[in-house]
Amino acid sequence: MGRIKKKGTSGAAKNYISRTRAVKKLQISLPDFRRLCIFKGIYPREPRNKKKVSKGSTTNTTYYYTKDIQYLLHEPLLAKFREHKAVAKKIGRALGRGEVGDAARLEKNLIPKIKLDHIIKERYPTFVDALRDLDDALSMLFLFANLPSSQHIPAKTITLCQRLCHEFEHYVIISHSLRKSFLSIKGIYYQATIQGQDIMWLVPYRFVQRTAGDIDFRIMGTFVEFYTTLLGFVNYRLYTSFGLVYPPKFDKKADEEGAELAAFQLQGKTISGAEAATNGKVPDAATSAKAQAEVDKLTASENVEDEAEETSTALVQVDEEGNTDVIDKFETTAQDADVLPQPQASSAEIASLFAPFTFYLSRETPRAPLEFILKAFGCKRVGWDGVLGEGAFTTKESDSSITHQIIDRPALPSGALSEVPDVPETVNGGAAPPKAQWPRSTMPGRTYVQPQWVWDCINQGKLLRPDLYAPGAELPPHLSPWVKPKKGEYDPTLPLEQQEPVGEAESFEEEEIEEEEEASDADDALAVDGKGMNIDAIVDRDSSVEAGEGMDVMSNDDDEDEDDDENEPIDDDWEGFESEAESEVSDTEVARRQHQHELEAEAAGVEPENKTLSAKEKKAEIRKKAEKKKLQEAEERERLKMMLPQRKRKLLKRIEHGTEKRDKEAENLRKKRRRIEKAREAANAL
Amino acid sequence: MAPNSRKRKAVNRDSTPDNDSEEDLADGLEGILSHSEDESEDSQDEDVGSGDESEEDTFSEDEVDEDMESGTDLFDAEVDIREQMRNLEATEGTPRKESSQLIHEPDSHTEADDELKLGYEGEELLHNYTVTTDANGNPRYLYKEIDPVYNSDDSDAQEATNTIGNIPLSYYNAYPHIGYDINGKKIMRPAKGEALDALLESIDIPEGWTGLTDPATGKPLQLTGEELDVLKKITRNEILEEGYDPYPEMVHYFSGKEEIMPLSAAPEPKRRFVPSKHEAKRVMKIVKAIREGRIQPYKPPVEEEGEEKDIYNYDIWANEVPRPEHSMHIAAPKLPPPTYDQSYHPPPEYLPDKEEKKAWEEVDEEDREKEYLPTSYDALRKVPGYGRFVKEKFERCLDLYLAPRVRRNRLNIDPESLLPKLPSPEELKPFPTTCAAVFRGHEGRVRSISIDPWGYFLASGGDDGVVRIWELLTGRQLWSVKLSDEDAVDAVSWRPGKESTILAAAAGENIYLIVPFAILSPDVEQSSRDLLDTGWGYAASKPTATNGVTTKEPPARWSRPGIRLEDKGVLVQIAVRSSVKAISWHRKGEYFTTISPRGQSTAVAIHALSKHLTQLPFRRLKGLAQSAQFHPSKPIFFVATKNSIRSYDLAKQELVKILQPGAKWISSFDVHPGGDNLIVGTYDKRLLWHDLDLSTKPYKTLRYHQEAIRAVAFHQGGLPLFADASDDGSLQIFHGRVVQDLMENATIVPLKVLRGHQVKSRLGVMDVDWHPREPWCASAGADGTCRLWN
Repeated sequence: MGRIKKKGTSGAAKNYISRTRAVKKLQISLPDFRRLCIFKGIYPREPRNKKKVSKGSTTNTTYYYTKDIQYLLHEPLLAKFREHKAVAKKIGRALGRGEVGDAARLEKNLIPKIKLDHIIKERYPTFVDALRDLDDALSMLFLFANLPSSQHIPAKTITLCQRLCHEFEHYVIISHSLRKSFLSIKGIYYQATIQGQDIMWLVPYRFVQRTAGDIDFRIMGTFVEFYTTLLGFVNYRLYTSFGLVYPPKFDKKADEEGAELAAFQLQGKTISGAEAATNGKVPDAATSAKAQAEVDKLTASENVEDEAEETSTALVQVDEEGNTDVIDKFETTAQDADVLPQPQASSAEIASLFAPFTFYLSRETPRAPLEFILKAFGCKRVGWDGVLGEGAFTTKESDSSITHQIIDRPALPSGALSEVPDVPETVNGGAAPPKAQWPRSTMPGRTYVQPQWVWDCINQGKLLRPDLYAPGAELPPHLSPWVKPKKGEYDPTLPLEQQEPVGEAESFEEEEIEEEEEASDADDALAVDGKGMNIDAIVDRDSSVEAGEGMDVMSNDDDEDEDDDENEPIDDDWEGFESEAESEVSDTEVARRQHQHELEAEAAGVEPENKTLSAKEKKAEIRKKAEKKKLQEAEERERLKMMLPQRKRKLLKRIEHGTEKRDKEAENLRKKRRRIEKAREAANAL
Repeated sequence: MAPNSRKRKAVNRDSTPDNDSEEDLADGLEGILSHSEDESEDSQDEDVGSGDESEEDTFSEDEVDEDMESGTDLFDAEVDIREQMRNLEATEGTPRKESSQLIHEPDSHTEADDELKLGYEGEELLHNYTVTTDANGNPRYLYKEIDPVYNSDDSDAQEATNTIGNIPLSYYNAYPHIGYDINGKKIMRPAKGEALDALLESIDIPEGWTGLTDPATGKPLQLTGEELDVLKKITRNEILEEGYDPYPEMVHYFSGKEEIMPLSAAPEPKRRFVPSKHEAKRVMKIVKAIREGRIQPYKPPVEEEGEEKDIYNYDIWANEVPRPEHSMHIAAPKLPPPTYDQSYHPPPEYLPDKEEKKAWEEVDEEDREKEYLPTSYDALRKVPGYGRFVKEKFERCLDLYLAPRVRRNRLNIDPESLLPKLPSPEELKPFPTTCAAVFRGHEGRVRSISIDPWGYFLASGGDDGVVRIWELLTGRQLWSVKLSDEDAVDAVSWRPGKESTILAAAAGENIYLIVPFAILSPDVEQSSRDLLDTGWGYAASKPTATNGVTTKEPPARWSRPGIRLEDKGVLVQIAVRSSVKAISWHRKGEYFTTISPRGQSTAVAIHALSKHLTQLPFRRLKGLAQSAQFHPSKPIFFVATKNSIRSYDLAKQELVKILQPGAKWISSFDVHPGGDNLIVGTYDKRLLWHDLDLSTKPYKTLRYHQEAIRAVAFHQGGLPLFADASDDGSLQIFHGRVVQDLMENATIVPLKVLRGHQVKSRLGVMDVDWHPREPWCASAGADGTCRLWN
């Protein structure tokens, strides 16, 4: 017989280690431990059985995986941290003695430099792993690229972030790997697909960020340190695999003048240098980097022609190859077969979406995202107003090669326009070409659109009608390209009829009517109040005639009863019944009553008026049917649930909770939409 | 306190009821003493005492009744008794020095006096010894115990001193006494506490009283006025000396004021007027150094940037090795993509109405379901910055390194998320795309083709009864033999294995094993010949051993085909009972199976090459046999009949599984090299993928062809490709990746339609085969050509 095993010597109790113990084991301070965890990507775990791990104590503790901590023991960074601590002590001592020069010297020479290369390699053994984890890195770095430098964020870090981000954007542009983008209230989302990995990042709008509140920039700084290293290596790999020299030439002067992307000049690898020079994409960036504002109209148009030729030849080539190298589209010949999805080879499409156009960005549009997106989708000539910075294809708005102008200004009223245009023309004189300023005059053959057009075009992968996005027009809603329609969820792109369950529209209308009626009834009640005697009499009579009707009926009857004096009593009864009683009384009751009324009507010698009621009735019937069906289903479900064992019932309940919430949300949205549509209809009718 | 003292007095009176006479006397004495000190006090006492008589009475009654009274009374009584006893003892034990002690306890003192008097009387009356006889008969004086009364000792009566020596008095705290006197009698603790306090209250504090107890005697300590003064000064940190001034006036010796008489009469030294030479020297040194450039006036610090540039100058993933995923590792979940209501211009129904807005604003920031309120801006320029941006990123950072990660099973799993992601088009490459070579030469249809295990030759057989061997890359015909005049060659198949080159071909009821030595190297030819020749004796010897017991006709006859064919390289002829339509080899090349659909019991035959032996594994087969295959790794044998596929375990000789593809007429099938998947082509235009682990029903049913599918084939050389050939004149190439992971299904992606064969009399492509290594495939057409695709 083996020895009796001691408790707490194996399993969960040994697999997890509390943070305090971990820190003690590593013999470092808590902030150092935090940095180490961030660099190494170590995170706390939630043990499956907390009681076993905590050995009975119920305090809330964070646990780490013991092996993670054990690996940390051999981390070279740990030695660096210790070294740093020793130097810090020396510096502190020097400062205490008032030897500032000594302290500075120590800081300059002895502070150990931390390198994270090995950690990158260790955390991301393959390049694809690194790409998969790039989402957070990009979002963070793009944020930091837009932050002002401060005490916690040195300017060096920010310029590094900017550089890396621009380099990455350049890669996305030349590889045409941008897929989608979305303008949200938080910022602009982008999604690129690189080597099969979807990478999504968020770029804030260019405003001063609010950094107040309890934000610890030391933590963020640690992340940024790691992410810059990661993105640096990723960029290197991306560039070199694309045949480019990695640190691209950086023009500091242009950057200072706000050239941003254009401050970088990509170069092909030295061996294929000649080839790269004629490549088209790469040197184009170079020319745009130079971005002479004095580029002639003529040369520009020549350029355009050249490009057009190039693209056409490229297209021909593609056509020739298309027969052989591209995946064919398979179509099923019969219904009962499974359809296999095929990947879309859309890289070429993306590259050519905006290729034939020349864009001009007005000065009120966000230049950086538009430039990035347009270039990523094949546009090679993007010009903008001079105030937006260096690097434009052209800064002249009147350039005739411009095909599209992006404008985000409201259209001026016609009166305002007519006054102004004379003045600039007289100022310009005859020598200068007439300036085409947008609101005053439009260039023939140029399309004027709002920025949203660009986003909607790329998300749908085709050019949309520009007249919907004309300046000053009411824009169609901008939708997120990542939301996939799910069953039971509200989809704004579909008409209401396709997604609502049976009977919902009818019930909605009835509700509306009821609400209206209630409102009108209240008025009526007030009006009638003067003749109190009359009401009393009516109420009495009502209750005697129709048993089973609720108290709320009485006010509803007023108007009918008023003309009761004039009309025939039978007919009036009928009306009143029809309008209110359906909800309460059961079907059989209705049938019985209807029959009775018919009889009565027959006796009175009057044909019951079914025509006027039929539409309303039909709707009510539909609704009732739907309700009844729903009720039956619910009952059936309840019964089935009774059969389930307790455990499964609970599970079902949990699942149902989710679906119920979703349904409710969708219903709410549908209701709102219906209301909006109705209001619109009413407005149109007027 | 007052009632206590009164009671005590009463008790005292009770305790001495007998000697009234003495009390009178004592009263008188006491009266003198007390009156001398404090008259008013005593009179008061007297008054109180008289007034207390009634109380006292009740008390004594209480004592009689014992425990009929309330607790407080009882307690009082107890305290009384105890105190009384103590007093008695104390006074008995220590005859006091009257001058100092009388003040404290006048009552007890009187009592003590009484007793003293008693002692006097006793001594005068009695002898102090008795005479008895001892054991020897001598008289013995037995002295009485000496009563240590006042005058029993004639020595000078010393003050009673405590003899306990130099130990703290606190050791006696627990005892009623505080030490022993010279006679060894206990020195009782003087009365203390409440009784005493009451008394003190009633009398004046005497001069010099401190309230402290002298540790040596246990008696109150008294100090004189001077001593108290000294103590006071000590406590104030003052100097004890009389008339000392701690703050005398300051005298300014060195002041700005010039005195008539200076302290020193020395004249001003010269150095006060002459500039310092030493300093001049030092300054000149520095000036010189600056002039020579040895000292730079001020150098602005130069930032070193050299190191930073070469950070990312190498490919860290140059030789990447994928690491198997650790089961304990949980990757950080990605942030969800934005929804419709996050748009800067969402559909109007997503905008919150007033109530929702109010509800959102009322809820505490941390409890909000959404951290933002959907808002619509009618133009992009109106969109403001998002205030919580940095905060949200920071929270994400915290989540990344601080939040414990747990794997949770989601209840409502999105079925779409289970779908495998499609591989990218680049990843699917390579696959055949173009026609590389056309092999012309056959008259009529080409029925069957096969590429040899080396990938050099293509064998084909057609309706003209000729087997041809082509060079694969060039399309040149290398070798041909006419096997039959009337029968078409229905099947050709190379034997697997690279050490020898043997082709099996079937024409009509005959199967031929061919070694085309004309195109082979001599050693390959020799080994191939050896393989075929080993069985000759075996087949002949076996029946003779059983001595003709079996009168049955053997299932097949192995023979030499005749000199004409043997010259060409056709070495063995096997004649079976009905015409053979398909041949398929076992992977080791020892066995091959032939299918002759029309033969009822002889439909499936397995031939052993080394023994020249033929077996019929099935006595009766349900349905029409169409094709048969060996499992690539296990001893399992698949047989396709008209509408089902059965797999048999050859070792146990039992049926393993019946697959129901749901097809009307299976034309052919192929086994994936992994062995767990099948593709089945049918005459009713369907291509079916079967996962043997999954179910007996097909995993995917593909209908991409307009006409019947004639043949299907997996690539056997490791590429995830398969192809089918159809009567509509096209081949279709598919990507079919099978993952070892049981949880993941195979991914099938249609890749390519290869057109080129002409349709003749409603027949298109008859057969398809893959190159053993390259992504090339060959097809046989009804138009009399074969094509190689790459």
